[in-house]
Amino acid sequence: MTARLPQLIWLTAVWVLLWGTISAKTLLGGILVAALVTAAFPLPVIGERLRVRPIALLWLVGYLTVDLVVSGVKIIWETLRHGPRATAGIVAVPLLTDSDWIATAVSNAVSLAPGTFVLQLDHQREVCYVYHLGMRGPADAERVRRQVLGMQRRVIAALGTPGELAAVDDQLGREPGGGRR
Amino acid sequence: MSAVGTVVSSVLLLGGAALCLLGALGLLRFPDVLSRLQAATKPQTLGLLLILLGTMMRLDFEDAATLMLVALFQVITAPVISQLVGRSAYRAGVLRRDVLVVDHLGSRLSENGTDSTDGADGAGPPPQR
Repeated sequence: MTARLPQLIWLTAVWVLLWGTISAKTLLGGILVAALVTAAFPLPVIGERLRVRPIALLWLVGYLTVDLVVSGVKIIWETLRHGPRATAGIVAVPLLTDSDWIATAVSNAVSLAPGTFVLQLDHQREVCYVYHLGMRGPADAERVRRQVLGMQRRVIAALGTPGELAAVDDQLGREPGGGRR
Repeated sequence: MSAVGTVVSSVLLLGGAALCLLGALGLLRFPDVLSRLQAATKPQTLGLLLILLGTMMRLDFEDAATLMLVALFQVITAPVISQLVGRSAYRAGVLRRDVLVVDHLGSRLSENGTDSTDGADGAGPPPQR
């Protein structure tokens, strides 16, 4: 049951936020609803744990916000300037983690900003295929690749284990053109 | 509410609405499913966040808390939806190849013949090309 505790707390918090007031009634009601939902729709428990680093996580959130705005402006420009003649590409980028949690977080982080999203994750080959709108030619692939690698490093710095982070830095150090930025 | 607050929240509301409008414009102008998907899901995310922020400034904290949930779920679910629709569109082959200047996934799939990327999710056979 302890493994389901985070889900219970989270659902209770959602319930209380939906009511907008913290009172004994909403709190108890929330716990009751959360328990019912958790019992009725059990999610598989993922054994691995995340190491949350608060400062790196804040950096990640800040970076995502800036990325959301910058990419938003780029896509608006793409809409107005190129429109029907817009071009795009699908780029293979190495996936730097084998944790399901982090792969999910990475895909979500990459896919949040306009113009880019993860089309396909290939766990066996450790590759993710990223769609990027606004690529003009094959030369842009390297830029997209570095951008996604940088995002992966930020996510792993915020949520990964120290071992994973070291492995990522090691791999990025060996990237052509020095992927670490 | 102070005059400055009114101006700031008005700017946020109008800016958010403008972004949603530009998203709709992108939906009309872009050439295929994958690019339209970008216009349909993403500028709205930012647009909605701005509108929510502008609205929150005009509300009491208790009502604003509920809006924070809306923002959170938008940020969590928008990428999932674009991934699902994009992947389905790619597999069904309903996209314009001439729009893509690079396609590493397509070249991977065709050089393999078979599709090993399915893994556990058991999606259908690879697209016939």
